[in-house]
This record gives sequence, structure tokens and C-alpha cells, in this order.
Amino acid sequence: MSEPRATRETKPPASRVMVLRCPGLCADDVASGKRPAERGADPGAEREVARAFESVIQAVTEFCPAVEAVEPGVCAFAARGPARYFGGEEAVAGKIIAAVADLGIECRIGVADGLFAARLAARENARHDAREDAHAGAHAGAHGDAMTLIPPGTTGEFLGRQPVTVLADPELAGLLIRLGIRTLADLATLPVKDVANRFGAVGTAAHRLASGYDPRPVAVRPPAEDLSVAQEFDPPETSAEPLVFAAKTLAEQLHAGLAAKGLSCVRVQVYARWDDGRELSRLWRHDGLLTAVQVADRVRWQLDGWRAGPEAAKEVGGVVLLRLGPDQLVRATGQQLALWGEAVVTDRVARAAMRVQALLGHDAVLRPSLSGGRNVAEQVTQRPFWDKGEPRFPRDRPWPGQIPGAAPACVFSEPRAAEVTDDGGQPVTVSGRCVVSGIPAALTVGGDAPREVTGWAGPWPLTERWWEPDEVSRRARFQLVTDDGRAWLAAVRDGRWQIEGGYWLWAGTIRRFRGGNCRSG
Amino acid sequence: MDSVEVALVDVKARRRLSAAPLPGAPGAGPGTGEAGAGEAVAGEPGMFPVAPALRELLPRGGLARGSVVTVPDSGLLCMAVVAAASADGAWCAIAGMPEAGLAAGAGLGLDLERTLLVPYLGSVTGGSVTGGSVTGGSVTGGSVTGGSAGWPQVVASLLDGCELVLVRPPSRASAQVRQRLEATLRRARGVLVVAGDWPGAQVRLRVTAQGWTGLGDGFGRLRACCAEVVADGRGEAARAKTRWLWLPAEDGTVSVADPADIPLGMPGEEPGRGGLRVVNGG
Repeated sequence: MSEPRATRETKPPASRVMVLRCPGLCADDVASGKRPAERGADPGAEREVARAFESVIQAVTEFCPAVEAVEPGVCAFAARGPARYFGGEEAVAGKIIAAVADLGIECRIGVADGLFAARLAARENARHDAREDAHAGAHAGAHGDAMTLIPPGTTGEFLGRQPVTVLADPELAGLLIRLGIRTLADLATLPVKDVANRFGAVGTAAHRLASGYDPRPVAVRPPAEDLSVAQEFDPPETSAEPLVFAAKTLAEQLHAGLAAKGLSCVRVQVYARWDDGRELSRLWRHDGLLTAVQVADRVRWQLDGWRAGPEAAKEVGGVVLLRLGPDQLVRATGQQLALWGEAVVTDRVARAAMRVQALLGHDAVLRPSLSGGRNVAEQVTQRPFWDKGEPRFPRDRPWPGQIPGAAPACVFSEPRAAEVTDDGGQPVTVSGRCVVSGIPAALTVGGDAPREVTGWAGPWPLTERWWEPDEVSRRARFQLVTDDGRAWLAAVRDGRWQIEGGYWLWAGTIRRFRGGNCRSG
Repeated sequence: MDSVEVALVDVKARRRLSAAPLPGAPGAGPGTGEAGAGEAVAGEPGMFPVAPALRELLPRGGLARGSVVTVPDSGLLCMAVVAAASADGAWCAIAGMPEAGLAAGAGLGLDLERTLLVPYLGSVTGGSVTGGSVTGGSVTGGSVTGGSAGWPQVVASLLDGCELVLVRPPSRASAQVRQRLEATLRRARGVLVVAGDWPGAQVRLRVTAQGWTGLGDGFGRLRACCAEVVADGRGEAARAKTRWLWLPAEDGTVSVADPADIPLGMPGEEPGRGGLRVVNGG
């Protein structure tokens, strides 16, 4: 029984952490465990919230420069330094609450030993927990219920009173409650090895939290800095050349700013605003490889592509603002180009690909690669130009069930509906034991006239992903040859015939042509 | 810009550079896969190689730079035309053919590492959006500027970057669009393979008969296809040539069919299942 207590006493004293929580800006409620996506937040509102939170952090930075944004609406910092400077934790918290209130945003502050306890203290309902426990010394301070201070050394008791639902893992919490473990104190009393045995890594992590160990110290947030560069045009610029010229200068500034920080960006965002309020923004792959002139080229293509689009049918005004912003900052570590074994994209090809991407969008230009998979449609992976990644169906695995022999020259991403009938005109079906009801005699694809089937093979059954109820696919595949000399890859799925691919030498409008005697040669 | 990277890095290309191209060697189809913008001798009849089985069909045994080749529709034939050049180091763009079976193309020798796909060519017609002074800015490379947006502009961009461009135009190209694209093609010194109609194409290829072997009545599998391919066109290609090819052969490539092997079900004979049938000659 006294074991966990002993471990807690031997651990180094946790540092005092102050957590500020803005209930109005929180995306994630610890108690309910809901994510913003589930609450159906729209991106516009999300951006608004992010901007408000950014201003909160700026306000807090006035008191303590090293602030960690824990999650949307919640930030944390080490309380010791500011408390010493401003004369006590309560004084700091009061000043911060006042400063944030000046922004028109409501917030709560919790102070405790360790980040986890401080976050719990900052929750609304932590207040009366602490009040109930007046003898422990927790008090609500001058700002009434807006702050909860857990005095040093009493964090253990505070944590112990919390229900297990605060662990933000509904599954684990539900299980613990059914086992009769209702509070963190109950959990912390259990020997850690038993918890590890029963609940694995999740349980161990929960046990550590319940015992007052934080998973990590408060991480310092580097002061936010806007590395984007922008130029305004007054009067609005209507011709492309000055814009492209300005873009080149901006790109030089952007690169200089990034290089001074030893940073590089994965993508660069080009944003333009017209005088009538229309906006155009596109991300371009950068990877620290582009020169200023190349960035300017992308600006030119983007403007060209926009002009070619349907939007441009309207009256074209002038550009009032052009902004280049780095996206996904990474440390500049230099680039190692492929030595061999990989086809190098020459400048010429890259430029062509990007021009088409500027016209049709990023996903319009694809690079194929052969991959595995049992179906013909899976055997080529297509990925947008510049994107990297592993194919979903690696090629070096065995894929039993592939159709042997020649690959079809036409592969339909959406199979075409078809009908196959036997000599008596009855639809051909395939039983659950893969027995064909009759010999295929005629094939009708879509609205075409029926074709006579002159040869067939199959069925080759294939059951895929039977362990995934949503993705399970059970099919029997056939190869058919029709009297016009074409070969088809057909499949029966849920009792319906569909054409997955064709082996003919050309596709498109399918015309019937009968009569084998008009060959002159 | 002129393929310095290729010369430095791509071992294949390096080998090719050291093997001096044989000027004007007929039929040999010397490797001329490097990015062609800076080729030394102006007017040199640069050719892209084709598979040996197709050499006899094409004038001078290869694909002449700056020429247009038409096939009736997308499918294996258009990929077979460019496969050897792609394997030799040229970049290939396939535009407007979302259903192209690239696994079959790879079997013919198409190098997917050097293939760009633009499955959908966007707007069907040229939008003709000339937006006053903003459009005044010229487009890099001086390709189709202003005027018609849409697929011709995409194809022009692809021609600037890739030596081989396969395209199925979503709409019929007007004479003006064709002229512009041909000008871009001549400047870029590539080859345009059009799946569809293109008046004035140097070479027209079509399949007049095809038949598959390997499939019986409920047994077997598709093994190879025997096809009669006819080539005609303008100038040197004006006289029609006909060849029987395995397209694809059993190993996925294209090869010449021995007349003895042609699985021909002649009209008088017993119309064997899986035998050849004449199809629309387009």
C-alpha cells in the first residue's frame, strides 16, 4: 500500500507549472475528450480561434517569454521565474488574467507541480474541488474563481482526488471504472508492474500521470516569427511583368530571412489578392532547392494558370498584394541528390509538370510506378508529381490471385456494368462454390449491342480484405474473347457482371463490326 | 539546362552520350534520347528508336523528331510506338487517357520512372480568355500564349518538357490549334502521338485485324494477340505498309508475327474460336 508513496517521495520534486486555459478557444475538452472535427468546426472559425489564441500567447509572453502552446486554447510555462519576479504566483496569475481579459478573452489559470496537474487545476470544475479542500491550502485567490493554485507539495492529494476520466482516454477510463478504480489515487496505489501487465503501455503512462510524474517537462515555445514577405501595390498592378519582378525580390528576401535562421521550407505559399477582394493562393514544393528566379517563375505560372481558368472570365482587375510565405519550416540540412538508380527529373520536365499543375491543379500531373496488388487497377500506383511515398501495395510481396499473363491495355478505374448471357439468353451466374451456371455466349457492355463470346476462361475467385467489414470484396474473374477480336477482363461481384479492363488495342467508342470476310490482304 | 543532370547522373544517358549517334543511319535508330533542345546540327534528321518489329512500318525506321503520329484511339498500339524511345531515356507524357493500362505499357518497355500522366485535360475547349493587359505577360518558353486555354495549352506545356507526348484530345483540334502545336513540336523536337484524328499527320497507324490466342472454352488464359497493323501517311510514308505483329507477344513485348503462326480463321474455313476477325479499319 505504501509502495507508490515511497516511489513518489524518491522522485525529484516536480517544477511549478502555470497553465492558462481559455475555455472559449479550447478545441479539446479534457473531460469529454471530443476533438474539434467531431464538433463540426468549420475551417474559417478555426482560423479565427487560432488567431485569437495567438494574441493570448503574445499577451502571456509579456510576463514570461518561454511559453508552450500545449494545444489550441491551452498554454503552459514554468511558474518559478515569473513568480519570483512579480512577487508570488498569485500576483502573476492575476496580472495575466487581467491582460488577457483586456483582449476580451476569458481564461482560467491553474498552478501545480507538473504540467498534468496544472492542466487539471486550470479546468473550470477544478475550482470547487480545491475549495472543498480548503484545509489543504488550495485557494482561489483575489480573482475569485479564475485561478486555482495548488500549493507546493499538495499536488499528490489533488491528483488523487481526480476521477480516472481526466486521463483523456475514454476506453481506459471506462475499463478502470468497471474494475472499481475510480480515482487517480486508486490507480496510483496499484503496483506499476501489475498495471503494465494488464493495460500495457497505455496503462503505464496513465499510472505515471496518476503518480505525479509528468511525461515531459514544459517545452519552450520559440517566439513566433512571421517569416513571410509581402509587397503591396498601389495603384493596383495590372500587368504580369512587374508582379513577377516583385516576386523575385520577395523571394530573395524570403530566402535571406530563412537562411539567417538556418531554416528551409518544404513548400512556399504564393498568395495574391486583387483589388476587388479576390484571392489566389497556391503551395509550391520548395525543399530549399529553388532559386529566387525559380520562385518568380512559379508566381508567373500561377498568375497565368489563374488567368486561363474560368474565374478570369470576369473583369480582370489589378493585384494589390503579393505575399510569399514559407510552409513547414525545417532545419536546412542541405540536399543530397540521387546518385543513380532513380530517374532524375530534369529542369525541363519539372518546369513542364509545374506549368501543367499551375493550369490544372497539383493533382492533375501524376507519376506512375508499378506496384503489387491482386487487381489490375492496383498494379500501378499514381502519385502527384513531387509527392513521395510508398505504394499501398508493395511490389516485392507475393500477391496470390493475380491474373496471370498479359496485362490489359485499358484499365477502368470505375468498372463498367455488363451483362453476360448463355445460349438460352439466361444471365450467367456464379454460385458460392464457384460453379458457373452456363457457358457464356453473349456479352453486353453498357448500352452496346451484344457481342458473341468466342472464348472464355475462369472463374478465378478472389476474396479480399474479408477481415474489414467495409472493404470486403468477393469476386469471380473471367477473361472473355468476343467475336470482334477483343478480349475482356470481367468479374462477377454481388451477382453483377462488370468489366474491369480490356485487352484490345484501342478503346473509346466501341463499335460492332461483323463479318470476317472483308479483309482484302 | 540542357540535361546536364542527366549527363552527370543517369548512367544510361552517359553511356548513350559516349556512343556517338550515327548521323542519318537508316533504320538503325541511334539513341537520341537526351533532351533535344540543344542538339548541335540544325536540320539533322534526329530519330527516336522504335521497337524492331515496328521499324519496317515507319519511314526511316524510327520516329522523326518534330513529327505527328496518329493512332485511332488510346490502347496498346500508341504505347508500343513510344516504348522503345522511353526505354532509351526519353521522357514521355500521357495526356487525356485515364484508362491507359500502364502495366501493359511497362511490359512493352515504357519506363514509368520517366512518364508523366495527365489523366484529365481539363476544359474541353479553348476558353479564349484574353484579359486585357494582364495577359500581355508572355509565357515562359513562348508556347501557346493567351487565347486558347484548356487542353492545347496543357499539351504545349508537355511538349516543352517531354520528348514524347501521347494525347487523346478531348475535342477536335481546329486548324489554328494544330498549327500552333505543330510549331511548338518542331521547336521542342519531340514526337506527338495523337489518339484520334489529326489531319496532316506524318504517319498514321491503325490496326485492321486482331485476334487473341490462349483462351479456350472455359480454360486457358490470354497469352498473346496477333494484329495486322497498317501504316500510311504523308511524304515518305505515303505508301501503305502492312505488317502482322504480336501485340503483345507472350512476354509482353511487341514482335513480328511469323505468317505460319497467324491464328487466322479464314471465312471459308471453320470459324475457330478465338480466331481472327476483321474489325473496323477506322
